[in-house]
Amino acid sequence: MATLTEMTETVPAPADRFETLFGRFYPELYAVVYRVLGERMASEDIVQDAFLKLNDDAELQRKPDVEVGAWLRRVALNLAFNRLRGERRARARLERVGRLETGTDEAADTPAILMLRVEEQVEVRRALAEVPERQRECLLLRHSGYSYAEIAATLGLAVGSVGVLLARAEQAFRATYRRQSP
Amino acid sequence: MILETACPERGTWRAWLDHEENDPRLDAHLETCSTCTHLVGELREAAAVANRALSSLGVARHPSADETALARERFAWRQRQTAAIPDVQKPAAGRRRAPAFVSHIPTPWRIAASGMAAAMALSVLVGFTDVGRTAAAAFLSQFRSQQVAAIEVSPQSQTEIMKALGALGNLGTLKTAAGANARPGVVPPLPQPRSVSLVEASQQVGFPLQTPDPKTLPAGIDPTPQVQVIAPTELRYTFDKSKASSYLRSNGHANVDLPDKFDGATLVVSTPAAALLQYSAKDSRDALLIGQSGELVVSVEGKVTLDELRDFLLSLPGLPKETTDQLRLIRNWNETLPIPIPTDKYNWKSERFNGGQGLLLNDNTGIGSAAIWQSGGHLYGVAGSLKANDLKRVADSLAVR
Repeated sequence: MATLTEMTETVPAPADRFETLFGRFYPELYAVVYRVLGERMASEDIVQDAFLKLNDDAELQRKPDVEVGAWLRRVALNLAFNRLRGERRARARLERVGRLETGTDEAADTPAILMLRVEEQVEVRRALAEVPERQRECLLLRHSGYSYAEIAATLGLAVGSVGVLLARAEQAFRATYRRQSP
Repeated sequence: MILETACPERGTWRAWLDHEENDPRLDAHLETCSTCTHLVGELREAAAVANRALSSLGVARHPSADETALARERFAWRQRQTAAIPDVQKPAAGRRRAPAFVSHIPTPWRIAASGMAAAMALSVLVGFTDVGRTAAAAFLSQFRSQQVAAIEVSPQSQTEIMKALGALGNLGTLKTAAGANARPGVVPPLPQPRSVSLVEASQQVGFPLQTPDPKTLPAGIDPTPQVQVIAPTELRYTFDKSKASSYLRSNGHANVDLPDKFDGATLVVSTPAAALLQYSAKDSRDALLIGQSGELVVSVEGKVTLDELRDFLLSLPGLPKETTDQLRLIRNWNETLPIPIPTDKYNWKSERFNGGQGLLLNDNTGIGSAAIWQSGGHLYGVAGSLKANDLKRVADSLAVR
C-alpha cells in the first residue's frame, strides 16, 4: 500500500497534520478492526480510541505516514484483541456476531444465502481465535491487503520474517478451520 | 537467503507466492526440486483457504469520504467531551473507570444519548418554526418538552449540523450554570453522576422512579440496578453582536446580520435532574440502561422574540435544508422535543410505550435498540443490547414498585 517515497519521506507537522492522518488511515483501520470484531459500533470505537492516542502524541504525528500507519494498526489491533480477550466473552461475542450481523450488501441476498454466510463467519472467527495471537495479526493484515513491509512495521518484525510467520499462521488456521468445518 | 545447494525456507517460498521474493534462482530451483514443489503446493493451498475464509469477514465496503468526515466530527466531539472533564474527575490509571454516565457505552449510543442534549439546540430551532408562529403568542418565551419527534439526519447532514452549531461559538458565549465557558455545538460534559439508592434518586429527581418487571428482563441480567443521579444543569447562550458581525464578515456572510436587540439576548436551556438505572450482565456492565427525568425547558431572556430568534437561527449558514424542513413540519412545536436520528446508524418507528407516544430505535446491526418517550411530564429512555421486541416489553412494564 505504501510507496517507496512514502516510506522514506520526512514529514513536517503542519497544523492540519492530524486531519490528513485521520482522512488517510480511518477507512483502512476501520476495515481491519471490523474483521476482528465484526461489529460496526465497536469497530468505530476502537479506531477512535487509536486516534485519541495518536492525538496525544505530537512527536509521533511528525513521523512519516508509513510509521504512523504502522503504529495506528498496531494500537488498533491490540485494542481490538484486548476487547475480545477472555475465552467466554470472545465466544459469546462470536455467537452474537454470527447470529445478528448483517452487512450492507446482504439485504439483497436470500435468507438461505444470508444464513450460510453468517454461519461461515462464525466458523472463521472461531478458527481465528485458536491461532496464536502474533500469527493471527499477521494473517489478518496480509489478507486485508497489507504488504510485507507494512506488516513488518506494524508487528515490529524484520521484513524477512513475515513470510515464515504468515506460512505458520495459514497452516494453523487451515488446521483449525478444517477441524471445525470438515 | 537462497543457497545453491540447499532448499529455501518455507518463509521464502511463502513470500515468493506473494511476489515479495522475486529472485529468479527460486524459479529455477522449483523446476528441479520435487520437495519444494510439494511445499509450495501446500503453502498455496493454505493461503487460498485462509484468503477465502477471511474475505467473508471483510466490510462490504470501506467508509466513504462522507462517513470518514462524520467519524472525524464524532472524534472531535468525543475528544472535547474528554477534555472538558476536569482532571480531578478523570479516573486514575489502574483504577476502575469512574461511572461517567455514558462513558462506557459505545460511541454511537453515547451520541444517541446525547441526542437529548443535541435536541436542546434543535429545540431552539423548533421553537422558531413557521408552524409555531401562532402558538407563540401563548408560549411567547418558553418551550417545555411534552412529547418527542424524530428528525432524520444523514451522515452529511450530521456533519453540517455539527459545524453549524459549532459556528454558534462565534456568535456568542455559552456558559454552564457554574459559569464555565462552553462551546456551542459541543455538548458540555454532563455533571458527574452519584450512586444512590432508588428512594434517594426518586427524591432527587422529584418524582417516584419506575422500574421494570423483573420477569421481562432477559436471562442473565441482574435484576438489581445500580442507580445514579445526574444533577440538573442550566446552559445559557448569550448573543454578542460585535463578535457575530466580525465572524460573519470574515466568512463571507456579510449579508447575514444580527440585529442590535440580539446583543445580550440569552437563551436558557434548563435540564432537570435525571436518574440512570444500570442493569448489568456477566459479560456487560451496561446490558440495559433506563433513564428518567423531568421535562426540558428552554426560555429566552432579553428584548428578542421567538420569531426573531427563529428567523435568525434558521438563516444560519450551513444548516442543512432537509433538517430545517423536518423541524418546520413538527406540530405542537412548543412542546415537542426533536430527537436527531442518524440514518446511517439507526432505523426508527413511532411506537407507544407504557401509555406514552415515543420512538423505537434499532441500530443497523440488529444488536442494539432503544426507546424514548414522554409520559406524565417525565421523559423516559431505555437502551440495551436487546432485540427491539424484548426492549419494548421492558419499557412497557415500567411502573412504580
